[in-house]
Amino acid sequence: MQATELYGRQIALTVSEATALPPEAQRLTALVVTAKQLTCQRCGSSLVRKQARLPRQQFYCYQCLNLGRISTLTSLYHIPEPNEFLKKSQLTWNGKLTVQQAECAAMIQSKFATHQRHLLWAVTGAGKTEMLFPGLDWALTQGWRVAIASPRVDVCLELYPRLQAAFSNLKIALLHGHQTEPYHYRQLTICTTHQLLRFRAAFDVLIVDEVDAFPFAANPRLGFAVTQALKPVGALLYLTATPSHDLLQQVRRHELGLSYLPLRFHQHLLPTIKVTIQPRWWAKVQAGRLPLRLGHWLSTYAATGQRFLVFVPRVAQLTVVQAAIQRAYPRLHGLTVHSTDPERLAKVQAMRDEQVQYLVTTTILERGVTFPGIDVIVLGADDPIFSTAALVQIAGRVGRSRERPTGAVRFICASYARPIKRAIRQIKLVNRKGRRLRARMPVVSTTE
Amino acid sequence: MPVCLLCQRPSDVKLTLPWVLSWQPLLQPVVCAACWQTFTPIIASQACPDCGRAQPSRNPCHDCRRWGPLAFYNQALFTYNDAMQAYFEQYKFKGDYRLRRVFSQALLTRLASLKSAIVVAIPVTPETMTTRGFNQVTGWLAEGENSDWLRTKGQTKLIPQSKKTRQDRLLTAQPFELTATAPKLANQTVVIVDDVYTTGRTMRHAASLILENGAKSVVGLTLAR
Ligand SMILES: [Zn+2]
Ligand SMILES: [Zn+2]
Ligand SMILES: [Zn+2]
Repeated sequence: MQATELYGRQIALTVSEATALPPEAQRLTALVVTAKQLTCQRCGSSLVRKQARLPRQQFYCYQCLNLGRISTLTSLYHIPEPNEFLKKSQLTWNGKLTVQQAECAAMIQSKFATHQRHLLWAVTGAGKTEMLFPGLDWALTQGWRVAIASPRVDVCLELYPRLQAAFSNLKIALLHGHQTEPYHYRQLTICTTHQLLRFRAAFDVLIVDEVDAFPFAANPRLGFAVTQALKPVGALLYLTATPSHDLLQQVRRHELGLSYLPLRFHQHLLPTIKVTIQPRWWAKVQAGRLPLRLGHWLSTYAATGQRFLVFVPRVAQLTVVQAAIQRAYPRLHGLTVHSTDPERLAKVQAMRDEQVQYLVTTTILERGVTFPGIDVIVLGADDPIFSTAALVQIAGRVGRSRERPTGAVRFICASYARPIKRAIRQIKLVNRKGRRLRARMPVVSTTE
Repeated sequence: MPVCLLCQRPSDVKLTLPWVLSWQPLLQPVVCAACWQTFTPIIASQACPDCGRAQPSRNPCHDCRRWGPLAFYNQALFTYNDAMQAYFEQYKFKGDYRLRRVFSQALLTRLASLKSAIVVAIPVTPETMTTRGFNQVTGWLAEGENSDWLRTKGQTKLIPQSKKTRQDRLLTAQPFELTATAPKLANQTVVIVDDVYTTGRTMRHAASLILENGAKSVVGLTLAR
């Protein structure tokens, strides 16, 4: 094994695999076993003895198995990060930031330089990737090691080509669970947050994008991974359009600074959610009929050619809903798509290419995917499958383009469920901030 | 709430009144119904009488006719399908020892029905014991340790079966030997348990060693075929 493979990493190896290691490699205990406690040193999980048990008084971690099993039969090997990088500017992007984006970018850079832990609450469609470029380039010029991580692999896959284009002479590492390329030591890494568990005190700057993609509380290992992968003096930046309760809690405890970017790149406010209470919408659709309001909206779409997305809670409802639409408005041409649909990519592409006027989909299209100028309708928005974050993200699909910065976001549901109320409140809050910002334009408001 | 060992989803067991009144011990299922249905059980009346492969007829299958009559017969519990392959990937190769519980009950029940005094599990190499840390067969049956009277000889099993070509597997010389602690085999019926019956070579070697040492008959039992 080459020394560079262990720089800032922690790799689990058995005794027989750990021969021929570079002399500077440090060996760390993989699992700490005491009379009372069993703790994985890679993912930080506290393990249940009975479940972690192997024969011969050995133990393994069942929480981070998909990174390769770590057990008392293995050790972690690590070489402290030496920052063997060129200290020069690598930015080849020559786009232009808006005034407020530039101010936000300057704020980000100053947070990096002063090693802060910070949360940037930027509305959907603010153009946050571009705002990272100046700060990233500054950090790379210092010879710093940088990572951009996201809980969702789709986000990583979308970020990688955009960053590779912006830093076209820099080799960027892309790490995720399905990656077949071998690992290489790189100054800039894009990876899933899960892959961060393979790093130890590696990054001077760590950016976690779409940090809310899974509820923070539902994944206690995420916080551990972030702390582990970051150097003790490293800068941490969380990016989100829909901060979770836990993140805002950290802000309140002063563990995180907070900035808002409440305006989209085109300076328009977020479209607000219009709710229609229709308790029997699903029974109607099942009977092949459309709820009255839905029928009105669709007849307008059929007449104007306006493109739209229909979200439903469950995969099984997709074809039923589409059949009802098809029957009422044969002129509307659309497709259904869900996360495990083998034709998912082709169908999304058909929508992008405007070969179809609408898609009926489950929550998979809630983020990342952008179709300019669309409207959205959420059927059964009160279903527990739609979290506050998901609803805000769905609403955020609308009004993304300069050409049509507005649009309709309509929910049909049986009642005002709590996530619906919270989503409406979040959008109102950022719009209030956005309106104030537009009025006085000292662009980004930072509270610390 | 208990969680399915395979898909991690909560599996709630519905307690019905007749069940509660039957006073039977409640065996908590370790996998959910949906996951369990992905495995295909083999029915004895629809399987090859020699190797246990699922097939409509009771005549020896193509492979068994090709290799000639066996000195033993094999029973397999499940067809080796995609779900089973995924199971072995997670249990044996990723080393998730908890997954022994998925099939433990099914194998122990079948083993009990064979009413044999001597049960022997195919051993893994000492090397595997220091890396994987368990024997996947005795994981189902007992404590995951190798039995101390059948062991692998020298280097012969160092290449994992899955990495060998079919030709390699068929050409391997006897990989096992009995140790001094082995029980008397004379006139005994012995059940040999292994994880998968693929070419049958492992089972043939173990069976011939045991028959050479005086056993009356040998039955093979594998989880998958
Ligand atoms: Zn772990
Ligand atoms: Zn399951
Ligand atoms: Zn056969």
